[in-house]
Amino acid sequence: MMVLVVGGSGSGKSSYAEETAVSLAQESVKEIVMKKYYLATMQVFDEEGRKRVDRHRNLRRGKEFVTIEQPTGISGALKKMETGERTVLLECISNLTANEMFSGKKANTKMQVMEDIICGIKQLKEQTTHFIVVSNNVFEDGITYDETTTEYIHAMGMINHKLAALADWVVEVVAGIPIIIKNPAKRDFPRASGLRKQ
Amino acid sequence: MKLVIGGTAQGKLEYVLLKYDVQKNMVWNGVLPNEMELNENIVIINHFHQWIKSRMISGGCPEDEIMSFLDCHEDCIIICDEIGNGIVPIDAFEREYRERVGRILVQLAKRAEGVERIICGIGQKIK
Repeated sequence: MMVLVVGGSGSGKSSYAEETAVSLAQESVKEIVMKKYYLATMQVFDEEGRKRVDRHRNLRRGKEFVTIEQPTGISGALKKMETGERTVLLECISNLTANEMFSGKKANTKMQVMEDIICGIKQLKEQTTHFIVVSNNVFEDGITYDETTTEYIHAMGMINHKLAALADWVVEVVAGIPIIIKNPAKRDFPRASGLRKQ
Repeated sequence: MKLVIGGTAQGKLEYVLLKYDVQKNMVWNGVLPNEMELNENIVIINHFHQWIKSRMISGGCPEDEIMSFLDCHEDCIIICDEIGNGIVPIDAFEREYRERVGRILVQLAKRAEGVERIICGIGQKIK
């Protein structure tokens, strides 16, 4: 099962993606605990980055994810996992795309970046039991950016498009509330904490 | 409390005024009314994101302040722009602002009895 979770800044998409990963991992294996991996793509350069990573680590605390740092070449994470049943959460495509595009000496084109990332995603999808991918909605601020940023936005658009085609479920998270975009099998989605009253 | 969100210029306020049959004088733009100013039961807080920004600039804590306000005014309607669906801003304040608006909306959505998202003037009930 592959799930794509999209949302904007501070939308609660990470939290929802984690709940989904935990819920799917529990659902499939009744007696043995399925291994859960968290593929972290963010490169930390400063204090703000460190705080961001800490916040996410706290969110995951107690959920028993094994963290794999994989800022580029996402399929490389497969070699770092144990074989067998596994649930993998990849967070997030916006960092991965930026890293693939801008880490090298020369910026890669949107087509190259899209092809590389989608190739890695397909391998992960094939070799995992459940695969949850978090991506970002970077498309609605109405600002005309420079050429490089525009290239990045277009790469993200193409990647999200392909991810949605590969995914069994697509969910947009808005103010912590999951909105179902694609669910052809009409399965029940994991309940989101956003729907519970405080 | 009811939460109404959506992109800018989507007709959120018009939608609320029509649906709840309320007058414009109950609408507070980018501010929270204080006790002295309140004489109606229904309070509509419009441009809630602007209030968050102004509280951040003044060094306030919008997260706590809005929750205390709601403890006394559970009947209100909060209208807020969705501002997080874009490229992460280079400017640190703008970055923090977007993220805090997003996280406050998550908390408000949890507390709300209903959440509607307005697109092209049409309300989609998401909670």
